[in-house]
Amino acid sequence: MEAILYICLGLMLIFGVMAVMFHSMTKSAIALAAASATLGIIMYELGSIWSALFEVSVCSGLVTVIFISAISLSNAEKKEVEKVYADKKRMALLPAILIISGVVLVIAAMSAGVSLPPANPAVKAANDLREILWNNRQADIWGQIIVMITGSVAVVVLFKERDQI
Amino acid sequence: MHAMAYIAVSFFVLPLIIIVINNLLPKKLAERMSLYLAGAGAILQIATSVTEFFLLSASHLHEYEFSLLWNIKKVGSERFSVTSLSLVILFCIGFVSFVSILIANQTIEKKKTSYVNLFMTLVLGMNGMVIVTDLFSLYVFLEIVGISSFILIAMFQSEESLEGAFKYLVMSALASIFILTGLSFIFMQTGSLQYSQVRTAALGGQGGSQPVLTYIAFILLIAGFAVKTGAVPFHRWLPDAHQSANTAVSVLLSGIVIKVAGIYGFIILTNLFHGVPAINMTLAIMGIVSIIVGALFALRQDHFKRIVAYSSVSQMGYILLGISAGSMLGLLGAVVHIFNHATFKCTLFSNAAALHEQTGTLDINEMGGLQSKMPVTGFSNIAAFLSTAGIPPFAGFWSKLLIIMALWNNNSRVFAGIALFSSILTAAYFLRMQKKVFFGKLSDKYTKLKEVGGSIKFAEIMLTAVIIAVGIGFPLVLLYLKGRGIL
Amino acid sequence: MNPFALENMMLITGFLLIIAGCYCLIRTYHMIKITIGIEVAMKAVTLFITLAGYVNGKIDLAQTFVITSIVMEVVVTVVAAGITINLYKKYGSMDIRNLRKLKG
Repeated sequence: MEAILYICLGLMLIFGVMAVMFHSMTKSAIALAAASATLGIIMYELGSIWSALFEVSVCSGLVTVIFISAISLSNAEKKEVEKVYADKKRMALLPAILIISGVVLVIAAMSAGVSLPPANPAVKAANDLREILWNNRQADIWGQIIVMITGSVAVVVLFKERDQI
Repeated sequence: MHAMAYIAVSFFVLPLIIIVINNLLPKKLAERMSLYLAGAGAILQIATSVTEFFLLSASHLHEYEFSLLWNIKKVGSERFSVTSLSLVILFCIGFVSFVSILIANQTIEKKKTSYVNLFMTLVLGMNGMVIVTDLFSLYVFLEIVGISSFILIAMFQSEESLEGAFKYLVMSALASIFILTGLSFIFMQTGSLQYSQVRTAALGGQGGSQPVLTYIAFILLIAGFAVKTGAVPFHRWLPDAHQSANTAVSVLLSGIVIKVAGIYGFIILTNLFHGVPAINMTLAIMGIVSIIVGALFALRQDHFKRIVAYSSVSQMGYILLGISAGSMLGLLGAVVHIFNHATFKCTLFSNAAALHEQTGTLDINEMGGLQSKMPVTGFSNIAAFLSTAGIPPFAGFWSKLLIIMALWNNNSRVFAGIALFSSILTAAYFLRMQKKVFFGKLSDKYTKLKEVGGSIKFAEIMLTAVIIAVGIGFPLVLLYLKGRGIL
Repeated sequence: MNPFALENMMLITGFLLIIAGCYCLIRTYHMIKITIGIEVAMKAVTLFITLAGYVNGKIDLAQTFVITSIVMEVVVTVVAAGITINLYKKYGSMDIRNLRKLKG
């Protein structure tokens, strides 16, 4: 199990960096979707099954669709994108920065003595997710309802062409 | 259920009912009646929060816990709760919403139904933030407030307002990322994010099992809430967002949103993590720098609303200083300053709306000598800026006095001195604005100018009366608090 | 401390992803790239919350946090996309160097 987790961690980091560094927006969005999928696999292996399902279906699906529709509503030519924004050049430093900061973080963490306790597999939560969500987090549920109302009003206000409403 | 329960639940339920009614009415009727509905809701909130405050103090409870449609008796279930502090902030929310509706009556022409929908979700989010008892629910309602305010700024789709909304969105997303990361580090060590359990987990004293991670969590949480407050060095979004929005929305943003979203977060932080001196020192330094930087930038601006926005940055510094003193006196000064700042910021933005309505411009270099044509606006502007500078007998004097006294008692004499002297800077930039707009020679194109009428004039008169009344009557409030044993 | 233990590795990967997301946010000129940067950083935050629940034993509570924050993230993305498209209609390009109306 550990091997899968290490590989997926590395893949998620690589896909994230690819999403930042590509100059073409569609490839960027697809790399983001791949990163979400690997995050879903990691979460499944760590034991949170329901949120892995949510992550894969919503972030890797819905958000990518939103991005691709936003990109296609603004169809600039590919050559012009590359010249004007120069993303490849401006982001070229990113891998170097990440490697350096990775080394710095490891050294800092070792000298400061940070070490997370290993997870104790014997202590598994006794409650099911659904019980906790509906019995212990009721205020969050009200919050989610209100956010969805706000989101629907946002779509009406920002995307409608007519002047009324 | 008795009266306290009904009123407490209404803070959450009333905006929801208004949203439902607003969307069920037929379109033409809704366009006409929606602003009146929202105004009625705001007045009801003012009335219920005052009533609940006196009911709560009469029953000698420290806080009152309630729930909405769920069983609160089950073990581990969440609860809403109102304390005296949250009732004061709920009163401020109702007050500023009422003033905003008064201004919106004259400045908003189209899309009224959607405006009231978003306005009610904003009020709902702010009400929710002060009544929850869990750090993660605090974050959820913080996001609701943020999302509603982006859309309110961007709603009328002018180029400037879209730009201001975009900058605010980017900074606010950064703030959410910082706050959530900080919360996850705290969760790692305490196992739960409810206020009672975080408080007793003794994180402040020994730093928990991972002191480095706890301190990183504190830094991230302070940075996140500082972005939402508009404290230096994260203040770059505030002038753009407040200048480019419609004036009715600017009143809300500057008058209550930056306080509930940012300052209330800091109040909760210092409440939960009592024994950490580093937090207080950071807040104090951020406060001092905000006061000075905000005032210095305000001296250079030419747009009326931008001066007022930088003044907000400066006054947030005063409130941060009050919280950082760590004593009850400092907290009292901060809360009173929240109310006072709401009143004079509302007055200033009402004047901005009046000037924009009548002259069509907000550039102070183009105005001049308007005192003779718009006397009510001129006088309320003078009252507002004297109150900001902290001059008796206006209301701002009392809150600044309380904050400076709290700092003095805390042996931070240097900070108290700097706070006292920066009143001069405050008076300086406001005098410049007053001179350029109202005094001086009247330009030729304004000979036909009239005073603004209708609800904006009513708002200006009411706010000036409140500033003077609170200024003169504040010793009564101090006596009442002394009788209750708080001071 | 063993830097190659699983939990520590996840912590470091999370921080690296947040650095990548914030770097993207600061350096790019394209509006949609900014939104992608925000998304990458939110992935890192999801990883942190799950890691906290895993280390803690309370994985179910962490799952509720993750589900709620995913809902928030989607609505923020929708609003960002809406503002971006409206800006594109006004200016004809997605370059943020065009946004110069508010100065000072």
